[in-house]
Amino acid sequence: MTDITDIIRFRSGNAPLALRWPTQRFLVRVGLHVLVAVLALMVLLPFLWLVQMSLRPEDEIFSDAVLFTPTLENYRALWQGNFAGSFLNSLAVSSLSTGLSLLLGVPAAYVLTRWRFKGRARVALWILTTRMAPPIAFTIPFFLAYRVLGLQDTVWGLALIYMTFNLSIVIWFMQTFFAAIPESLEEAAWIDGCGVWRAFWLVTLPLAAPGLAATAVFCFIFSWSDFFYALILTRTNAMTAPVAIVNFLQYEGWEWGKIAASGTLVMLPVLIFTLLVRKYFVHGLTAGGLKD
Amino acid sequence: MAAVAIRQIRKSYGTTPVIHGVSVSIEDGEFVTLVGPSGCGKSTLLRMIAGLEDVTGGEIRIGGRIVNTVPPKDRDIAMVFQNYALYPHMSVAENMGFSLKLNGIPKSEIAVRVERAAGILGLSPLLGRLPRQLSGGQRQRVAMGRAIVRDPQVFLFDEPLSNLDAKLRVQMRTEIRQLHQRLGTTTVYVTHDQIEAMTMADRIVVLHDGKVEQVGAPLELYDRPANLFVAGFIGSPAMNFLKGWITVDGGAFFVTESGATLPLHSAPAGSDGRPAVYGIRPEHLSIGDAGGIAAEVSVVEPTGSETQVFAHVGGQEVVAVSRERVGVVPGQSIHLVPDPGAVHLFDAETGGRVN
Repeated sequence: MTDITDIIRFRSGNAPLALRWPTQRFLVRVGLHVLVAVLALMVLLPFLWLVQMSLRPEDEIFSDAVLFTPTLENYRALWQGNFAGSFLNSLAVSSLSTGLSLLLGVPAAYVLTRWRFKGRARVALWILTTRMAPPIAFTIPFFLAYRVLGLQDTVWGLALIYMTFNLSIVIWFMQTFFAAIPESLEEAAWIDGCGVWRAFWLVTLPLAAPGLAATAVFCFIFSWSDFFYALILTRTNAMTAPVAIVNFLQYEGWEWGKIAASGTLVMLPVLIFTLLVRKYFVHGLTAGGLKD
Repeated sequence: MAAVAIRQIRKSYGTTPVIHGVSVSIEDGEFVTLVGPSGCGKSTLLRMIAGLEDVTGGEIRIGGRIVNTVPPKDRDIAMVFQNYALYPHMSVAENMGFSLKLNGIPKSEIAVRVERAAGILGLSPLLGRLPRQLSGGQRQRVAMGRAIVRDPQVFLFDEPLSNLDAKLRVQMRTEIRQLHQRLGTTTVYVTHDQIEAMTMADRIVVLHDGKVEQVGAPLELYDRPANLFVAGFIGSPAMNFLKGWITVDGGAFFVTESGATLPLHSAPAGSDGRPAVYGIRPEHLSIGDAGGIAAEVSVVEPTGSETQVFAHVGGQEVVAVSRERVGVVPGQSIHLVPDPGAVHLFDAETGGRVN
């Protein structure tokens, strides 16, 4: 094991340079790799366990055997049941709410960043406070209002609720990204012949694309993962995947295979989305102030 | 091309006025430089011409048309920004052709015009590159290319060379001047660098604290500065100033506070005993053994082509510049002899020129 005294001895010149230095570096590197592997395994274990469970035959679901013959039986059963519909509902609700939040939130964030008007900081703070209240506080008002409006158990109804929560996130995230774009670029576009919104569309928005991607993923994941509102406000027509999973916990017994398979499927879009935009995601979240 | 007329322009941010009634007339095809120290309002004035700042009061005309409320896109101007403001997501060709595309010009014509502008600026091999793949000088050229490709009525430059290194700045200075001679477009150029202003402009507008101090041709400003501010601002090293008073006694003289009596060619009528400031440019002081002002050398700076000698005169620093190799050393006592024909006299109270 590498000892700090070895390094000090090496530094002070008591050790043969060619021999000790590469060995030490190698040991440190191996140590770090092992550490990373252990940490990654700890984090990934629940997910890996879920995935392998979804591929096991029903009678081997809790078996200790590491080796087993994988089967897609659980996924086939999901496909034949109502889960596919719920999965599509989840996709529709999340995409709709993300799209709507961006459509309204991005121009609002731009205006709050660039335009100087009285009470600007106050308006921005008000928007943020909408995110501070616990979502459960709005349950009954939403439930009653939706009953009157006929929005209960509809994809649009659920998407609108998620939008109200996502809007403040979009506005606050995007303000940081817009602030990082030099105003002179927009001014150059105005002089080149753009109006205010055309300059926004052709110059500012493409430059804020990494931030936009990061924000969109945030919104999508929030809507996709919500269980609470989906449970309260949907019954059959607009039931989302997280709620559908609970239906596999029945009085007659718990369908572990289907639970594992549907859990894996629910994870999948989040995983794909994050992998696709992970470069932008990291850049987007750290972009503020990096540009001159 | 068009003339630009600025009449009694005022600008305030809230209750703070930054430009106090500036009037400047820029002729068609003229190259005018707005120069002044930081915070004098020169960039604000340029941005008002561009339409990027609202006008609090007064009138701006471009080509005879009042443009106070006309948005930037409809002013038919092109501007080069201090930080270049190139669109990072567009190639050089797209950056240069952006305004033409917005104006609905056919692609084939855009390509021809971009090629032509790129040829003038030596950018032809770089047309496919992104701004981040270019050096500072190349970016500067692209910013200029973006301006010239449009053939606008007026070019506006906002300290375009301040981000370049010294050598490149000198080179670009010449290129911008050549470009103006070739295109003949009315140009308004903002800089805080008086050498840039002197070398490039047909006329210079010196601004200070939101007011025009003097307007004139470069050498006019150098030879006959209207006041102490212009005298001190234009010229490098700066003009020397000595406080004292005018004496008319069998001839015109200036007596410095340190007691030296310096001859004047003439004194304004009735100025005997009047407190004044004596201004003399460093190159009009020669180093001698007697006469003039007694001084003690503090620093000697040879630049090769000339030697700058800094000396103390009664607690005040005075600089003399000589084209000759001067053999003086710090601590040595010398006499600085002014050329009486090159003396500038300013009123001690108002700072206005009196001779």
